[in-house]
Amino acid sequence: MSGDQYDPYGPLVRALFDKTEHAGEIAGGATASAEGPEARVQLFARLDGKTVRRLSFLAWGCPHLIAAAEYFCKNHEGLALSDLEAFDVSEIIEKLPVPVEKTGRILVLEDAVRALQDVIGRGSSDDRQ
Amino acid sequence: MSAANDWLYLDYAATTPVDREVAATLSALLTEDADFANPSAVHIAGRRAGVHVERAAAQLAALVNCRPDRLIWTSGATESNNLAIIGAARYRSDRGRHLVTMPTEHKAVTDVYRALERQGFDVTWIKPGSDGVLDPADFEAALREDTQLASIMHVNNETGVIQDIDAIGAICRARGILFHVDAAQSLGKLPIDLDTQPIDLLSASAHKIYGPAGIGLLYLADRPGCHVEALTYGGAQQRGLRPGTLPVPLIAAFGKAAEIAAARMDEDYRHLRRLCDSLWAGIRDVAGLRRNGSETRSFPGILNVGVDDIEGESLLLALEPLCVATGSACNSRDREPSYVLRALGLSDALAQSAVRFSFGRTTRPADIDFAAARYRDAVARLRQLAPVRAA
Repeated sequence: MSGDQYDPYGPLVRALFDKTEHAGEIAGGATASAEGPEARVQLFARLDGKTVRRLSFLAWGCPHLIAAAEYFCKNHEGLALSDLEAFDVSEIIEKLPVPVEKTGRILVLEDAVRALQDVIGRGSSDDRQ
Repeated sequence: MSAANDWLYLDYAATTPVDREVAATLSALLTEDADFANPSAVHIAGRRAGVHVERAAAQLAALVNCRPDRLIWTSGATESNNLAIIGAARYRSDRGRHLVTMPTEHKAVTDVYRALERQGFDVTWIKPGSDGVLDPADFEAALREDTQLASIMHVNNETGVIQDIDAIGAICRARGILFHVDAAQSLGKLPIDLDTQPIDLLSASAHKIYGPAGIGLLYLADRPGCHVEALTYGGAQQRGLRPGTLPVPLIAAFGKAAEIAAARMDEDYRHLRRLCDSLWAGIRDVAGLRRNGSETRSFPGILNVGVDDIEGESLLLALEPLCVATGSACNSRDREPSYVLRALGLSDALAQSAVRFSFGRTTRPADIDFAAARYRDAVARLRQLAPVRAA
């Protein structure tokens, strides 16, 4: 009996929270943020054509939120912009996993992703003009 | 960190490890070859078991300077508080139904008073100052002609704030009001003299003083009008006030823990003072840090601090391997910020960032250095992670 069965954080949440390799700002990249009563997330992206070359985040909130932001950045870096558009927060909620009472906080991350897509989309349309 | 563990325990206000001498006392009374019998029995085995109960009562009575026959064994301070508050309120209900307490008491007191409110008693909740200290004048102003009982804790379990129980008790005595003190955090740690202090009912637990969980006591003063109605029924033990077969090993262990606490009280206090001062000195210059509770009227076994714009649950995880308590209470599966800190006027955000460090006999100065460094690093890391708040 290690007591791990009472741990409110799974091993993945602990690993992502402990090693936030994607934390920080990306100077000169696209950025967008979202905020709720118990969570704040700011995302940064550097694009290379239609590819998301780098992603990073800043986050204030519970360990699940910080782990979710790290997970998102880690798993979407290097993917096509269209993959970002296909992002579904339920994947993160299931993978970590996130307890039901905290899903509201994780939805702030989803809001930040959507806001980032808008910023990137606006940048693309500006380019076309 | 101790040699035995890869975590550093700084949650002694929650519970303490059992002292080895205490554990030996307990385990020596469990088996067939020991004095394991029911101490209420008149046979030789029962009488022999009874000796251990008497010895423990004497050890506890010596610790708080009272008569051993004024102590009632319970399962712990929670039960003692229930018996004291409900028992006294009911016993005196024909004289009046007004009761007084503070919102910063332990839940083992506040929940009991709320239950009595639902039963038709009228409770006045007196708020302490922002430093957690109750002004005796505010207490006196809350009293009425029909006030029968007041409960004010000695040392607050979250902040360590020490209340002026002598002044408050004297006010109660002058008005014939029963005065109940939850001493779960102070028994064996601060001097208590029930012969001279104006206390009618006092609750305590063994597991806060290096004894086992599952045993506690209620002191009942030998004064006119000071009595409680029993809450449980089933035998004549303990004058029928708390029936049930006495747990001799637990009681004997409690007695031993009390004896050790009495012998070590000054030494323990000095040790805790050094640790508390050292930790405070090690973190006090963290930007946005505040100490929760009075700095001058507090027990040095507890240091409670909060910090601006840090999320409490993440702070707790970032502090690992420190085992501390948090004001966010997420770790205790209760998502509300500390009601004690909210009552001191802290915002939800500041209350949920609170961390309670509590120290014990085996805490070493090196542990405190480690804890201070860990706290500083954790706050710095979480601040680095946080985005600027939108205007």
